[in-house]
Amino acid sequence: MNEEAPMRVQFTLMDAVRLGHEYIRRRLDRSLINIASIALGLSFYTTMVISDLLYSTSARLGGGQVAVESYQYWLVAVALVVSIVGITNAMLIAVYERYREIGTMKCLGALDKHIVLLFLVESFYQGLLGGLIGFVLGLASAVVITGFAAGFDIVLYAPKLSLVSIFVGSVSLATALSMVATLYPAWRASQLNPVEALRYEL
Amino acid sequence: MSYENVIELRDLQRYYQMGAETVKALDGVDLEIKRGEYLSIVGPSGSGKTTLFNLVGGLDKPTKGSVFIDGVDISQLDAYELAWLRCRKIGYIFQSFNLIQVLTALENVSLPTVFAGTPHDEGLKKAEKLLEQVGLGERLHHRPTELSAGQQQRVAIARALANDPAIILADEPTGNLDLNTGMEIIDLLHGLNKMRGLTLVAATHDLKMIKASDRIVWMRDGVVEKVERG
Repeated sequence: MNEEAPMRVQFTLMDAVRLGHEYIRRRLDRSLINIASIALGLSFYTTMVISDLLYSTSARLGGGQVAVESYQYWLVAVALVVSIVGITNAMLIAVYERYREIGTMKCLGALDKHIVLLFLVESFYQGLLGGLIGFVLGLASAVVITGFAAGFDIVLYAPKLSLVSIFVGSVSLATALSMVATLYPAWRASQLNPVEALRYEL
Repeated sequence: MSYENVIELRDLQRYYQMGAETVKALDGVDLEIKRGEYLSIVGPSGSGKTTLFNLVGGLDKPTKGSVFIDGVDISQLDAYELAWLRCRKIGYIFQSFNLIQVLTALENVSLPTVFAGTPHDEGLKKAEKLLEQVGLGERLHHRPTELSAGQQQRVAIARALANDPAIILADEPTGNLDLNTGMEIIDLLHGLNKMRGLTLVAATHDLKMIKASDRIVWMRDGVVEKVERG
């Protein structure tokens, strides 16, 4: 044995990404629930933001004065909170499902922070995917909703830069929310005592 | 540095609090295990075998007393050093295999090399070689659900060897296997013990495993009842 080597286990972000990717790919059904949850919440959000943009574009071009009401933003906030709670719930179940695996990983040398990292990588993936899907859905429904009020061609006149920044903003929001929702389950997983985790029968 | 006794237990105690009652799972165990020795720990369920296994493996902390691995008192180690010990010095084999279900045999075996900081390709190559050694060269890309119980335990053995540990801890490794498969696993473990000079500590009920071992530690009610030469 090499005594000079530092007595430190290693687990890089790349390792976590590789492993997290496998978890999502091979347990797709559970991941899909989270992705759907974030996509629905986010599509509602993007619908509102893009509608707002399209209405103001229409107003600028001399169209009717239609606007997104402020209570609708409250509904968006509620929708996002609901999707966060849904993800936290689904991830907690995922932690219970993987009790023994987490215990095993700890036996093989995983530190608490490695377990947290693994769950966060998964939620990052889910948030990113959910965000992309949610944006596309939101864009489509915003175009349909405003189309009847202000004409479907209005989307062509909307400032491109604003659309891009809404895209970046929504996908980042989705990813951040997904990761925030996973913090508590990930922390719970990392605190597992390997002895108890290995004895656990699902 | 190399100590002749790779494992030393000094007055090892582990109590559990069950409501108002204190359960003495281990009540003062002294034991020395030599490098390359094959030791069986035998006793009825509840005699403290698994507790002993967990303490030696650094998975649990003693209430009192110490576990020395290569002369180091492991209760003095911090979380990082303990993880390193589990990763590099000790290989674990369980009754219920505990393979990661979403990963293939090859990925399961290479997982410990990830934590050891081995480059990815090198870890996979090592895992492939180990799987060939345990007779699963044709099953590299099968997942645990696609393998028989005996094959799963072989994967678990290959995984335990992934970082060339000094010690293999096996908790009832044949407990979930039929007679013949169990026999094959015992032969495999025994061979590794002899050929690689690995120290093998196995908690077991299995008479065939007991017969193959160098020394047998009989436990009862948290203490060592007797020690026999195999």
